[in-house]
Amino acid sequence: MMRKPMRVDDILNNDVWDVDYEPHIRVDTTKCRECEEKPCLLLCPAQCYTLAGDEVLFSYEGCLECGTCRLICPHDAVSWDYPVSGRGIHYRFS
Amino acid sequence: MKEVGYKFDVIVVGAGPAGSAAAYTLAKKGFKVLLVERGRVPGSKNVFGGRVYADPLRDVFDGFDEAPIHRWVTKERISLVNGEAMTSFEFHERKRTSFTTYLTELACWMARKVEEAGGTVLTEITVDELVVEDGKVTGIRVGDEKVSSDVVIDAEGINRLLLERAGLVPKLEVRYAGLGVKEVIKLSKKEIEDLFGLDEDEGLAWLMMGDVTGGLPGGAFLYTNRDSVSVGLVVMLGEAVKEVREHISRYVEALRLHPLLERYFRNGRIMEYSAHLVPEYTWPSLPHRLYADGLLVAGDAAGLLLNLGYNFRGVDYAAYSGYLAAKAVEKAHEMGGMTSENLSVYERMLEESFIMKQLRKFRNAPKMRENGRLYTTYPEVVNSVMDQLFHSPYEIPKVMEAFKRAKDGKIGWLDLVRDLLEVVRSV
Repeated sequence: MMRKPMRVDDILNNDVWDVDYEPHIRVDTTKCRECEEKPCLLLCPAQCYTLAGDEVLFSYEGCLECGTCRLICPHDAVSWDYPVSGRGIHYRFS
Repeated sequence: MKEVGYKFDVIVVGAGPAGSAAAYTLAKKGFKVLLVERGRVPGSKNVFGGRVYADPLRDVFDGFDEAPIHRWVTKERISLVNGEAMTSFEFHERKRTSFTTYLTELACWMARKVEEAGGTVLTEITVDELVVEDGKVTGIRVGDEKVSSDVVIDAEGINRLLLERAGLVPKLEVRYAGLGVKEVIKLSKKEIEDLFGLDEDEGLAWLMMGDVTGGLPGGAFLYTNRDSVSVGLVVMLGEAVKEVREHISRYVEALRLHPLLERYFRNGRIMEYSAHLVPEYTWPSLPHRLYADGLLVAGDAAGLLLNLGYNFRGVDYAAYSGYLAAKAVEKAHEMGGMTSENLSVYERMLEESFIMKQLRKFRNAPKMRENGRLYTTYPEVVNSVMDQLFHSPYEIPKVMEAFKRAKDGKIGWLDLVRDLLEVVRSV
């Protein structure tokens, strides 16, 4: 199995989260419509940003809380918070 | 906002290496210390490449030899990779200078030391903001509650949202950040020792340069833990934004599937996939002020990390900066209070410590890493020379002949000399 490509979701499935009820990241996706580069699609390591047609979809559940999207967004569309008390990614072996 | 009745001498935000080192040092001296951590346990938000230098931690923590150490790094391997060829340089000496571990485990151990020293450690507490009154940081706000202290040590990590919100630092720029992504792959202890030629508690730190990063400026790494390996890469975010061609996880996967590397992982399974930002400042000065009235900043939040390309120093720098922040609080206490003026001693202590001395010395290293030839041309040239020397049975070239053939059309003498000087000057 290790010698074949794996889906990003299958790789991420090895991680543990305590998902918050409220998203800790909010994305103003109206700004994404104007965005030509969309670097979030490739650089968010958890692939939280995906494309459906022309629309950028964002889901916070698998977020690794690295902060990359906040820095690279060319249109400042990402407002980023730390998840509340104990929520979010729970690294055990990193 | 209601105020919690109890007041602390010191509140430390973030139970990573910097925060725990600061809290431990102050608790040991009898200060009333509160260490708050947003994760479920200390370390659960921490990620590193894989290796820590022991001496700075030994200076900070008593009983360091009981820390959760996986393997002592006795084997250093640096490889230039291009295509399916790799030229490596290996250094093996059984000295116990740096070790591998899970940072999540190490951070847990550090926070336990804080408790043993009499500090209070609270997990699952997300700080919403630093409370600033009349220009002085007087505590933290958690939800609608305020917890007060004479001084706050901010060790919140590289994203430093609290400092930004308080207007103390600008937003981190992409060009000052690297992105690290890694997989931790489970193998047996014996497999690791057999595969990498290691004795029981020996470890390997392996840095790879060249097209193993899929053309992104940066490097790839592999560290052996007790019964797993950490494999991944660190790319310069400013460049990656322009040059990334497929999802970043595919670049890590390309390492796992690389024809010369997959043999190490084929019997393993992924235990964890993680990502974290890395500070990549162009020195020689501190990136921003690390003290204010009632506030000190340590660790990644302060941007203290050295990336030499062949070696990284983050965890020990963080812990030692936390230790110095604690020492500065002690000094300021003796001088009469946590004013900006009294706390400014922290920056002087940092300047005189190995941290700033090394960061200043290697200030050109980040610029050197922007030179694309180091990632592409040189690994290619070196591997081509080796290929000619070892795979030409009827017509062995002289080394210089092989080198000329390898470099022709790729790089001129002038650029070569210039790059050589740059490397010599930088690292």
